[in-house]
Amino acid sequence: MSTPLISVKDLTIRFKTDEGLITAVEDVSFDIAPGEVLGLVGESGSGKSVTAKALMQLNAGNTRYGDNSQIILNVPGQEPLDALAIKRERDMIQIRGGAISMIFQEPMASFAPAISVGDQMVEQLLLHSDMNKKRAREISIEMLDRVGISEPSKRIDQYAFEFSGGMRQRAMIAMALSTKPKLLIADEPTTALDVTIQAQVIDLMKDLVGEFGMGILFITHDLGVIAQTADRVAVMYLGRIVETGAVRNVITKPAHPYTQGLLHALPRLDDLDAPLVPVPGDIPSPLERPSGCVFHTRCDRFIAGVCDANPPEATLVEDGHTAKCFDLTKTSEVA
Amino acid sequence: MNPSLVSLDKLSVHYPLGRRLIGKSPVLKAIDEVSLDIPKGSFFGLVGESGSGKTTLGRAILRAAPISGGHAVYNDGEVDYDLGTIGKDALRDYRKRSQLIFQDPYAALSPRMTVRDIIAEPLEVMGLTKNREETDARVREIAAKCRLNLEHLRRFPHAFSGGQRQRISIARALVTGPKFVVADESVAALDVSIQADILNLLKQLQRDLDLTFLFISHDLSVVAHVCDYVAVMYLGSIVEVSPTRELFKQPKHPYTRALLSAIPSLDPDDTGKQQRLPGEMPSPANPPSGCRFHTRCPVAQESCKTDVPHLQDAQGGARVSCNFWRENLPA
Repeated sequence: MSTPLISVKDLTIRFKTDEGLITAVEDVSFDIAPGEVLGLVGESGSGKSVTAKALMQLNAGNTRYGDNSQIILNVPGQEPLDALAIKRERDMIQIRGGAISMIFQEPMASFAPAISVGDQMVEQLLLHSDMNKKRAREISIEMLDRVGISEPSKRIDQYAFEFSGGMRQRAMIAMALSTKPKLLIADEPTTALDVTIQAQVIDLMKDLVGEFGMGILFITHDLGVIAQTADRVAVMYLGRIVETGAVRNVITKPAHPYTQGLLHALPRLDDLDAPLVPVPGDIPSPLERPSGCVFHTRCDRFIAGVCDANPPEATLVEDGHTAKCFDLTKTSEVA
Repeated sequence: MNPSLVSLDKLSVHYPLGRRLIGKSPVLKAIDEVSLDIPKGSFFGLVGESGSGKTTLGRAILRAAPISGGHAVYNDGEVDYDLGTIGKDALRDYRKRSQLIFQDPYAALSPRMTVRDIIAEPLEVMGLTKNREETDARVREIAAKCRLNLEHLRRFPHAFSGGQRQRISIARALVTGPKFVVADESVAALDVSIQADILNLLKQLQRDLDLTFLFISHDLSVVAHVCDYVAVMYLGSIVEVSPTRELFKQPKHPYTRALLSAIPSLDPDDTGKQQRLPGEMPSPANPPSGCRFHTRCPVAQESCKTDVPHLQDAQGGARVSCNFWRENLPA
């Protein structure tokens, strides 16, 4: 395997609050190679967005990173860089919007309402390259055209409120890609969209990955969207990656009880008679983080004295497919 | 098929958009001449994209949105109300027979009231119980049915997770003993592992309490699993109504087909790309002429721009609003 574009090692993120330190992410490690799409899937509170924000150091001031945590960025032709070691805001600029771009969930909240879409696109191009204003505007129009916005030379002078939801998300993608980032972080980019628009945006993103060859960290709670976009997937639960592997393997042969539970709880169109089986219990509050394996409070394979004692190590299920569970004997064939 | 609990005949909800000095004032046709029968005891699904009018339709039936034309009739065997002309006293009675479960369990519950007070409020407002003991008994009964722990009743909503909160708002909706419940995107805000639990609970309550549900959702796979019938809305009209199995086995309207193929499949090889819809839904303030779907329809013909289609019977108990549905069925 070639050098990964980004390597996250033992990422632990805690937030300092009035109630004490809250652990949001614990010992998370993953690599993304150039041109690879890694899906990060999990329910609300699993720590997927916090992980993504850590890559760009966008978390709030009360964030405390673990001592061994590393986020190594390998931009071709440059020295490897640890994003967590950067202390000055000024130095973050080469990462934010330069090497890494991010697409957010809520496209309405991500554009400044009083500045035209074009000016916002031009501004960041000027910041990250040495092109002049005229050229930056040309490129912006080109990118808007590329993401399928009609009459881009007219649209570029409009404001975000004049765009529909799908168009805003397209403009967001155009903006994120115009600086040709090496890594794109897409945080629930289609969640606020209707299915027909979501399908358009997914198609567009797939086309653009092929064309630009960047790595993508694709965050979503929707396993269907992951199946359609990602090469590999990492399943997160309460701040830990519990299972990771090629999308096909994880979805058809899930090994971790949580992944299996998620897939059984999902209403599927190919089998309308299949009962919906909820994962028992509720997600524990981050203040009462379970000891040992974080899933043991809801797990049907719970072994007293084992699962609640130590966190399980990653076990190889098959090539490139690992799960963190003490009892991986039960497999579950889903579809 | 059971007799209808709610039947709509050319029901319209129009909102005025300002006034003009000369000529007709523009209106936004949120619901345009919708005719629909909701059979008693059914789990009736209503799907559509945002802006299609599904929430407005649910609210119009609950008399929470103004009815501007047509008829909506509610008949549960005990009473028979024409909801467009219903009187004040009858409306008060209708309020306890029909209820709404909201989408966001975080916004729907007052943070300053205990769970007991939240669930008891409808009983107190409507004066349905004589004294506190009776109220408490009703609250405990419905809380148990919604699988809420009785000791939870003394706590405040902030102590609960999303799934538990949604169970509280279901208990609140059902405490007056309604016959008809509108569940508007009631699982949309929940995580998958919790969503299945709430769906199973709603199904069980429907059977135990003999309820009729209007289940509004944008998620076709959820609807496929819980509903007996499904109506698909586009831009204020119903394009297809069908028993659930038939709809998913053989969708007949081109919009329904496109909607189904847009759902991301769990199979990475199944990209469902053959029927992508171009563009977005037009504004309901200025809907297209003829068939409202013709601007995005992959099989539109010249006459679709002028001829307004009406719901017509198709096979399998389905009704479809497309003049060319027969020709366009995939072989």
